[in-house]
Amino acid sequence: MTRILMKGNEAIAEAAIRAGAIYYFAYPITPQNEVGEYMARRLPEVGGVFVQAESEVAVGNMLFGAVASGKRAFTSSSSPGISLMQEAISYMAGARLPVVLINIMRGGPGLGGILPSQADYFQATKGGGHGDYRVLVLAPSTLQEAVDLTMLAFHLADKYCNPTMVLADGMIGQMMEPVEFPENYVEEPLPPKDWATTGCQGRDPNVVNAKGRAPIIIKSLALDPVVLEKNNLVLAEKYKLMKRDEVRFEAYKINPKNRILVVSYGTMARICQTVIDELEQEEISIGLLRPITLFPFPAKEILAEAIKPNIESVLTVEMSMGQMVEDVEWAVKDKRPIEFYGRTGGIVPTPEEVKDYIMKILARETPAAKNWNG
Amino acid sequence: MNEKTHAIFTRPQSFRDVVTHYCPGCTHGTIHRLVAEVLDEFGIRGRTVGVAPVGCGVFIYNYFQTDFLEAPHGRAPALATGLKRVRPDLIVFTYQGDGDLASIGTAEIIHAANRGEKFTTIFVNNAIYGMTGGQMAPTTMPGQITTTSPRGRNVEECGYPIRVAELLSTLRTPAYIERVAVHTPQNIVRAKKAIRKAFQYQIDNKCFSLVEVLSTCPTNWGLTPNESLNWLEETMQPYYPLGVFKTPDAEVQK
Amino acid sequence: MMQTPFPAFDKRVIIFAGAYGSGKTEVAVNYAIGLTTSQNQPVSIIDLDIVNPYFRSREAAFELETQGVRVIMPHNEMCHADLPIILPEIRGEIERSDGKVVVDVGGDDVGARVLSSMVDAFAPKGYEFLIVLNARRPFTSDVAGSLKMMHDIEMSSRLKFTGIVSNTHLIGETTTEIVVEGYRLAEEVGKAAEIPVVFVSVVTEVAQQLDPNVVKVPVFALSRQMLKPWEEKVKAVRGL
Repeated sequence: MTRILMKGNEAIAEAAIRAGAIYYFAYPITPQNEVGEYMARRLPEVGGVFVQAESEVAVGNMLFGAVASGKRAFTSSSSPGISLMQEAISYMAGARLPVVLINIMRGGPGLGGILPSQADYFQATKGGGHGDYRVLVLAPSTLQEAVDLTMLAFHLADKYCNPTMVLADGMIGQMMEPVEFPENYVEEPLPPKDWATTGCQGRDPNVVNAKGRAPIIIKSLALDPVVLEKNNLVLAEKYKLMKRDEVRFEAYKINPKNRILVVSYGTMARICQTVIDELEQEEISIGLLRPITLFPFPAKEILAEAIKPNIESVLTVEMSMGQMVEDVEWAVKDKRPIEFYGRTGGIVPTPEEVKDYIMKILARETPAAKNWNG
Repeated sequence: MNEKTHAIFTRPQSFRDVVTHYCPGCTHGTIHRLVAEVLDEFGIRGRTVGVAPVGCGVFIYNYFQTDFLEAPHGRAPALATGLKRVRPDLIVFTYQGDGDLASIGTAEIIHAANRGEKFTTIFVNNAIYGMTGGQMAPTTMPGQITTTSPRGRNVEECGYPIRVAELLSTLRTPAYIERVAVHTPQNIVRAKKAIRKAFQYQIDNKCFSLVEVLSTCPTNWGLTPNESLNWLEETMQPYYPLGVFKTPDAEVQK
Repeated sequence: MMQTPFPAFDKRVIIFAGAYGSGKTEVAVNYAIGLTTSQNQPVSIIDLDIVNPYFRSREAAFELETQGVRVIMPHNEMCHADLPIILPEIRGEIERSDGKVVVDVGGDDVGARVLSSMVDAFAPKGYEFLIVLNARRPFTSDVAGSLKMMHDIEMSSRLKFTGIVSNTHLIGETTTEIVVEGYRLAEEVGKAAEIPVVFVSVVTEVAQQLDPNVVKVPVFALSRQMLKPWEEKVKAVRGL
């Protein structure tokens, strides 16, 4: 396998193709335009389709039609564009369709700026659109991981019949790193897509509502509250399974001597790693728990590390004014003081300022509980 | 049925043996039937997927013996685009009302038509929002009273009704676009021919096709079924002339 | 240790173009800094990258200005705009008669198109138009791909390439083998396109290990300026 140098956006695009997703619908937005440009160049080589839609609203709905056929299809966008897709994401969640969305986050709210941000955490992990649903969210911090998680996203989307998002910030989309692609990519077996609308040929037209027999209707409309609640319970059951089986995280330099547990993801986690390495040289032990799945969130794992005897506090670092920290606080449940450091609007915190903040926490005699939002 | 009688009128195979929810005198049922007959005649039921709108036609998926997708409001052409691009071998049609297609879904229908997506749209124009209870639609006639235009549609504030067939016909991309009505038997025969042609163009992978069908809404118009048929002819038809607005062959000759 | 002279050119305008991610900006920024120490004349760098939102030479403005390089780039809010901004002073800078001008162009034919609008400013003074090649990038990993890239850029910019910069690397994973493999490809591309490989560029640590019997053109040692946020510590060590 040859290692090649790729931009994050290109690496994600190639990974999708390698996972068999050759149907791509998108609308241009910075800082992820290289995905579309790469797909426009590559898709004709693999017999795929690229439709540049009239808006992100249309993108989401084109995906709805495309994945209803049972084929793998996806889009990429950045924060404001993902907001416009929430309509279709909600419908696809309700209709239990597997779709993959790539969000290369930029600073908001509103039109905001084009620099990296992690401010869409709430939108991605708490549903995003209307109704009672969740999106499975994967957050890479290196380009190799962006490749691996993009490929995994298609598998998990199919496995759970659920919208799945790769959530990365603009830095990961724009930076370059060496990556490699698996040569013989084999996935765990998946259930057949007998729910796909492929024409009812061969199915008995006279049997209505017998599963897999009658014409197939893909919809999210259920006027009868009993039916709608039943559907929502099926979704809830799925989210429970995800929480049980799909939690992924990385423990970085976690050991019994850690004085602070840092929780951080994506680009921010890499900056924290630099800080932790530097503090290690100064014999200050800090551990990092990096969530890879943001939903399902590694809450139990964070709690388990947080309550180790030497841990003085749990510090969340984000490129936002505090979003994931709410999940960390919920996970830690008053067992340890919660600290937060964040920059927003496209500013990426430097290792120096994160280190300074850690030194401040360590110098405090009694760290203030809930310091981050007080 | 004994041996001496034979059926001269049966339910199309593409239509389920169910009672629809449409009000008495509503022409949705007629239009459904025409589409179902065309699917039967072409023998394409088994490879057809419909896309349902939001509006009175929302439950169309309960009435057809074909696979169906239920779209968000106005987005049926986007779903149809996605499905047809991925599975060009399928026959895909959207069934949309005037609120769905001419208001919230304006962008989707214009761009699908302009890209020349190879699916068929049945556009039902009854000059009002039926499902939500008789509000003003983009196709509501000047002076027409609705729940949100209680003194009649004021063209100073709301502009004139949108003529969808004419609007889409201005696009350079080849397409088949015809407006028909279903208020008399003769018109129904013509409507069926237009729907047949629309699906024929799709089967031949030729172009985007759209049939605008002038339709009635006795309940929200506040008219009897018969009065409604007259109102369609006397009030709507002069503003929405019937006929073929665009064919792919004529466009190519230009 | 390999010692080669600074790869200087007589022409006063040196334009670096190439595929997305070939490393043009790193080469251009280092080259501009190199010019200030090797030649006793004013040096400026023009950030003509209107396609990339991040990692443009403007990101290294502080380092460049510290080293005495004049940086021509959009300022304040416009610095972070994803708009194609062409400053009026660019043309003046190119048409000036003294000093050296380094031009950093955006990637691919798309990024090079901007040159086409000022092609009349380049021509009278003469210029070097250099293609930066990285054989470890997806679309320039062989001769055919590289030639296509060059052709596309020449068509969109309306300028002819005068030389090749072999900049094959894998960032932190770069080895001498990778550099030599890229250099060999660059020579083949040069032969096919009938232009010379003008220099090989690579980070100092690897540059020092290259064998002059294998790499027969000047080697330009780079000191990385375009850093990722978690590499910022390196910057601090350098005293910035």
